[in-house]
Amino acid sequence: MNAQVLADGLISGAIIALGAVGVTLTYSILRFANFAHGEFVSWGAYACVCLAGALGVWWTPGMDGIGPLSIGWNVVFAGLIAMLLTGLLAIGLDLLLFRPLRKRGAALTAVIASFGASLALRGLIEVLFSSEPRYLSQDLQLAIPLGAGIKLTPDQIALLGVTGVLLVAVQLLLTRTGIGRAMRAVGENPALARVAGIDVERVFRLTWFIGGALACACGILLGLIVQIRPAMGSELLLPLFAAAILGGIGSVPGAALGALIIGLAEAATVQWLGAEWRSAVAFLVLIGVLLLRPMGLFGRPA
Amino acid sequence: MSDALLRVEELWAGYAPSAPIVNGVSLQAARGEIVAVLGPNGAGKSTLVKAMAGLVPVSAGRVQLAGKNITAVPAHAMLASGLGFVPQTENVFATLSVHDNLLIGAQALARAQRAPQIAKIYALFADLARQGLLPAGRLSGGQRQMLAVGRALLGEPQVLLLDEPSAGLSPKVVAELFAHLRVISASGVAIVLVEQNVRAALGVADRIEVLVEGRNRYSGAPSALAEDPTLAAFFLGATRAAPP
Repeated sequence: MNAQVLADGLISGAIIALGAVGVTLTYSILRFANFAHGEFVSWGAYACVCLAGALGVWWTPGMDGIGPLSIGWNVVFAGLIAMLLTGLLAIGLDLLLFRPLRKRGAALTAVIASFGASLALRGLIEVLFSSEPRYLSQDLQLAIPLGAGIKLTPDQIALLGVTGVLLVAVQLLLTRTGIGRAMRAVGENPALARVAGIDVERVFRLTWFIGGALACACGILLGLIVQIRPAMGSELLLPLFAAAILGGIGSVPGAALGALIIGLAEAATVQWLGAEWRSAVAFLVLIGVLLLRPMGLFGRPA
Repeated sequence: MSDALLRVEELWAGYAPSAPIVNGVSLQAARGEIVAVLGPNGAGKSTLVKAMAGLVPVSAGRVQLAGKNITAVPAHAMLASGLGFVPQTENVFATLSVHDNLLIGAQALARAQRAPQIAKIYALFADLARQGLLPAGRLSGGQRQMLAVGRALLGEPQVLLLDEPSAGLSPKVVAELFAHLRVISASGVAIVLVEQNVRAALGVADRIEVLVEGRNRYSGAPSALAEDPTLAAFFLGATRAAPP
């Protein structure tokens, strides 16, 4: 494996990691596999591209590239607002759909409902924006040689930095703050958490918000290096779940490491077997983990 | 009892409204009093304290704490209303450290109060002070009960409900735990204790409530239990008696 394949795998893994952390938090704290998570990725990217366009009309200098990057401050501000909106979209979906099912104890129905929500959200994107691809930037960037045969564009380097900052922030939130402690407590034992005075529904809402916001960041960063399309999120869903399960449900470092492994495996597969095999990698990893180590790398036995 | 801090009046509760497990139970506890709730298996003791803590639906009756009706208060707000509950099993967050468990208990306190209040818990349960960084799941059974009680105390409850705290503990550890409960009650906290370990409960309780089939069967001083031949036979095992 040459160094460039490692770098490509790292980029893929960084994008998957942001989505996988949302999946692992939702899965461990709400105890349900949300198959609509990929649509938060798409909605986040579309929200960002729309807001960036609107900001660009109102604030033309904001569209100038930031240093060597292909995007301007309008995309940065649009991205932050889009993360907020996607987090609220996730909370809204919970209030409308998943919370009533949770109250009835219909866990399996909630999983099926998430399939339905996924189809509806993707369909709505196509109705609103058509299936024509959108772009956060159409500037052509030249890759910079970084040594050891590795070349990355400035946007890709920024992507790695942003992902690193967001992952560290989530890990610090979970391990160093009161609300993070409450999230871990609810993930372990929601009934005891209630008795201990934790407002479990508030923790659920925060989990949805963080998951939605991270999925949005995932969509924006993916949109930065490829096209923004209605199916971009649903196509990412399998790698997100594979990374979360490989890392061990509930573990943020685990999801990040799982994503890195999936990303590297995908990049190696593209080089050795061809791009058509790329989507099979996550599936094979998922099956392998479920058979050999169902609790994942950092998970606990049930 | 006119000076009752906790007053449970004609409480009906159960997981399904059509099949109540607690059938009109009444109970009182005064400040600093330890009340042991006894009864055979299936008497509704655990369901009673879970209903009081907001974890089991109440279909009729009410729970009053210091004159305030808290029957409909959600479970997560009970501690803030003055009522703490320690479940029988899975009563600590096993993957969190001992200190994190205590910090969860202290979350409602002002930031400046947390460290001194946790220090008081470590002083009360010296065993825990040496294990602060250890995951709570690695504590012994007795240490877990102490941690669970300590976490509940950090919410500064006026009433503490304990569901079978002696379950699975050695007699020595039970004696130590109950000695701690005496110290806690002496600080003014009313304690309602559900117990299967009748002899240990009689040793610590100021008053007992006996439930049978979800109804009050006997209420009075622990010493009086021994004087009632039917109850004594059933609960203290003098003979193989039928439920009273």
